[in-house]
Amino acid sequence: MNVAMPALPLPNVPRERLVDRSLWLAVLGLMLVGVAFIFSATGAAESLRGAAWFDRLAVRQAIAYGLGIGLVAGSCLVDYSRLARWSLVAYWLSIVLLVAVYVVGVERLGAKRWIALGPVQFQPSEFAKLAFLFAFANFLSRPQGELASPAIFAKALGMAFLPFALVLKQPDLGSALVFMPSAVVMLLVAGVPGRLLGRFLGGAALLVLLVLLQVLFLPPRWRLIKLEDYQRHRLLVYFNMDFADPGASEAQRAAARTEKANKSYNVDQALISVGSGGLWGKGWQQGTQGALGYLPRAVAHNDFIFSVIAEETGFAGSLLVLGLYGTVLFSGVKIAGQARDRLGRILASGVVALLFTHVFVNIGMNIRLMPVTGIPLPLLSAGGTSVVCSLLAIGVLQNIHQNRKNY
Amino acid sequence: MLVLDQINKGDGSLRLVAWWVSAGLLVLAAGLWRIQVLQGDHYRERQETQSFRSVRVPALRGRILDRNGLPLVDNQPRYRLDVYLDELLPQFAAEEKRLRALHMAARGLTNAAPVSLWEHLAARLGRKPRRPSLSPNEREWLRRSARYAVVSNIIVQVNQRLAMQVTKTEEDLFRHWQQQRALPFPLVNRLAPAQVAILTEQGSSIPGVEIDLVPSRLYPHGPLAAHVLGYVKATEDPDPAEDRDFDYRLRDYRGEIGLEAAYDRSLRGVAGAKSILINSSGYRHRQGEVLIEAPVPGDHLVTTLDLHLQRAVEKSLALVSGDERGAAVVVDVRNGDILAMASAPSFDPNGWIDGIRRADYERLLDPKMRPMFNRATYGSYNPGSTFKVVTALACLDAGVLTPASALERMHTLGYYRLGRNHVIDDTAPAGDYDFNRAFIKSSNAYFIDHGLRLGIGPLLAYARRLHLGEKTGLRIQEETSGILPEASEIPQALAAGKTANLSIGQELTVTPLQLALVFAAVANGGSVWWPRLVDRIEPGEALSTEPPQQVRPGQVRSRIDIPRAHLALVHAAMRDDVALDDGTGRAARVPGFAVCGKTGTAEVKSGRKLVDRITWFASFAPFESPRYAVVVMVESGGSGGRTCAPVAQRIYEHLRDRERGALSLGGMNP
Repeated sequence: MNVAMPALPLPNVPRERLVDRSLWLAVLGLMLVGVAFIFSATGAAESLRGAAWFDRLAVRQAIAYGLGIGLVAGSCLVDYSRLARWSLVAYWLSIVLLVAVYVVGVERLGAKRWIALGPVQFQPSEFAKLAFLFAFANFLSRPQGELASPAIFAKALGMAFLPFALVLKQPDLGSALVFMPSAVVMLLVAGVPGRLLGRFLGGAALLVLLVLLQVLFLPPRWRLIKLEDYQRHRLLVYFNMDFADPGASEAQRAAARTEKANKSYNVDQALISVGSGGLWGKGWQQGTQGALGYLPRAVAHNDFIFSVIAEETGFAGSLLVLGLYGTVLFSGVKIAGQARDRLGRILASGVVALLFTHVFVNIGMNIRLMPVTGIPLPLLSAGGTSVVCSLLAIGVLQNIHQNRKNY
Repeated sequence: MLVLDQINKGDGSLRLVAWWVSAGLLVLAAGLWRIQVLQGDHYRERQETQSFRSVRVPALRGRILDRNGLPLVDNQPRYRLDVYLDELLPQFAAEEKRLRALHMAARGLTNAAPVSLWEHLAARLGRKPRRPSLSPNEREWLRRSARYAVVSNIIVQVNQRLAMQVTKTEEDLFRHWQQQRALPFPLVNRLAPAQVAILTEQGSSIPGVEIDLVPSRLYPHGPLAAHVLGYVKATEDPDPAEDRDFDYRLRDYRGEIGLEAAYDRSLRGVAGAKSILINSSGYRHRQGEVLIEAPVPGDHLVTTLDLHLQRAVEKSLALVSGDERGAAVVVDVRNGDILAMASAPSFDPNGWIDGIRRADYERLLDPKMRPMFNRATYGSYNPGSTFKVVTALACLDAGVLTPASALERMHTLGYYRLGRNHVIDDTAPAGDYDFNRAFIKSSNAYFIDHGLRLGIGPLLAYARRLHLGEKTGLRIQEETSGILPEASEIPQALAAGKTANLSIGQELTVTPLQLALVFAAVANGGSVWWPRLVDRIEPGEALSTEPPQQVRPGQVRSRIDIPRAHLALVHAAMRDDVALDDGTGRAARVPGFAVCGKTGTAEVKSGRKLVDRITWFASFAPFESPRYAVVVMVESGGSGGRTCAPVAQRIYEHLRDRERGALSLGGMNP
């Protein structure tokens, strides 16, 4: 802290700082919450199993935080506009990795999303999100006038569509869809004419609607776009619809009902966890849903970590977590507003959109506002790749912040 | 403010982004408010429903005591060997893994997933079979087998240590697993103390095995008074009407017959409840047991029975032959208390507690012996000559017989001819009989003659005043009313024959208890009591301040006014029947205790053929101030005087000694 000399009053300007304090305090808060509740969700089972301390998920999460912070510090040594020059390389590298997942990917729960690098596994789609943000922002940072051209607009759409399609094919519908809000927000902030954007959004909305309708209502052989069974089931669960096809026999219907009960199990248990937390929660490590195995152990610490937090800290804790995310997101918007150039502004708003989408979809699925997808909660869900990429994205905000106007 | 700043200032597109973010966060906050605060209770309830199971905890059953507080029915601790399945979960998982590998190997499948990059490429290009997976049925079967393998391994260890032959089938385990997964799996229902010692000395190092202490019913005197006391049967659900829902019910007992059944509700107490925390697979969770409601122990029943007297009565009855069928009842003539009530043969109620063995059960079903049958209250028999006491009193009451005419002698032929074809035999030889003589020689002719003069209507009416043909009002269910015909139902043509038979105790049936109450009334001068078997119900809780529920003694059911002269005549005749050397009941004579009695031998005929004899001795004593009525009945006996009177004699000897003992002890219980 500077100690102002009373004899020489400083001019009334906000003090300039290298780091955005509210942003990083919120990030620190989220990291503490993350370690505490991953421990709560997994600690009992791990100590029962006798896992070594370095093998525990909470420790691994802390290591991922450290690694992420280190990478952020490193990346901030280089101006973001210089990084952006390499963005096309990164973009194509991520495309190559996404293709590589097909060939050498590790299959888990019916989807190929991971590549094994020795002892650690790594998820290229997470990396692709970052690379895409950079490349897309770099592309859109050209003079605003050029963006009115349909050709450029089409090219931009193509750029967004390629990773989207590859991730969709993994299959990982959720991760694929999170590209879209970022792309739309970046197009908006870049100043693409409303007419083009409107048409694109209208078209996309229509397409999504058609896909949903045919998936939900048409008999199987008439469907043009075929989702994986589990994806269709998640949608049916979300819309609370019958699993059986129209014209199915009574036995098939009964089987479909049990299947539906099975498929909606995770969602139901997540809701029970969140709801039973009440206003003040049951206390740290006092939640029963995870300890008794109702909230399946495979998902309690990652996709459904929010359920654990909500059960143990109640509505008060849920609001605190929302507040921490809000702080990160609004700091991002502020940083976008103060950015030195169009690149920084577009990039920062893309990061905000990406983080927001993750938060909204993940918490939304914990309270049945959204269908179940494998989208992690940034910084809180256990998972190294997701943590490092979320921190790198926030690092981008820091980079833009420290290279802002008038600094 | 960070938020408002971003929404208010800045240019259009960023403001839009800020708006979207705020709107999204608000939607989430609203959703969380709805689920956590507005519907919080609903979800908490769902969470409790799915993770708690309620268990009915039976109360300790009340004891049954004799009139001096000695236990007739008690409880004792039982050591049960249990397997706690939840402690075996790691073993189950390991065994399942081993079995799966074996299963896969047997089917020629490999469990190994491709590891290296090359293997991945090869797998992709060569289109090798995908990693094999098991169908849900196969997995379920593997798990079931794994559980049984682990548990039977434990059973082998238990058998080795205890030198036992416990066997549990896979089906047993599976049924328990399906229905009572959160409860321990019982291996041995009742461990002997030596076995408990072996297990505790060596430390229970067998995983998941524990010794649990549970209360069990005990009948310390075995078959003693078994028909009166009843027995209990193990059940999970003693009362289907109990309007509470439990997920699990621990073993409880339900009274089946006798007092155990009649006072089941009081004895049973009020079951409590505990909750157990269970995990998502339905197993009990460690340290998750909470007693929600403590059970209220059942009330104790203090009966009017006297343990020592009851034992003496049963011993006396057993003197007949050892495998006699009969009953004996001792009633206090001053208040109707049942002091002892025995039925032979008896059964051991202890045999029913853990489920009866087949051989025992078949013995209990023997159609001739019928050991479960309470002959004292549920069996009804022709009273035979013992009924002549009632005939005499009815005739005296109607004036057909008077103290004066009683002295007149009547000539009998040694049989009684009724019309041309109907001859009734007489055991008393031909001769001249006054009332007293006719009574002690049990002359049929004398009593038939008087009965016919009285007529069937008044005779039946008098019997009805003594409440024959009606239940005595005991609360135990095994009671019959006996048969007393209605005068109006008897056709005029048959009236004479019926009257003649009735006068000597052939046209009606009575239970030994009913007859004892009739003789009690004769002894006390006309008070017919409501018999009393239970003195009071005491609260089962040791610290209860509630007073015991007293059953009032000496409840008069009805009072018959018998003039002193009539009473003296009958009492004297009864005394002489025992006291005189040619009285039929002389075998019941007890020095120092003037017994008044009447023998009876009822013939059970099928058509004209004699198929059985019911022998009786009905009595009261002492003559000077009657206190006890004793009725002994033996099926297929020789005669009342030879078969039953000696039994009564033994009983009276005990009663005499009991009074002397009590006097020397300071008049504890006269």
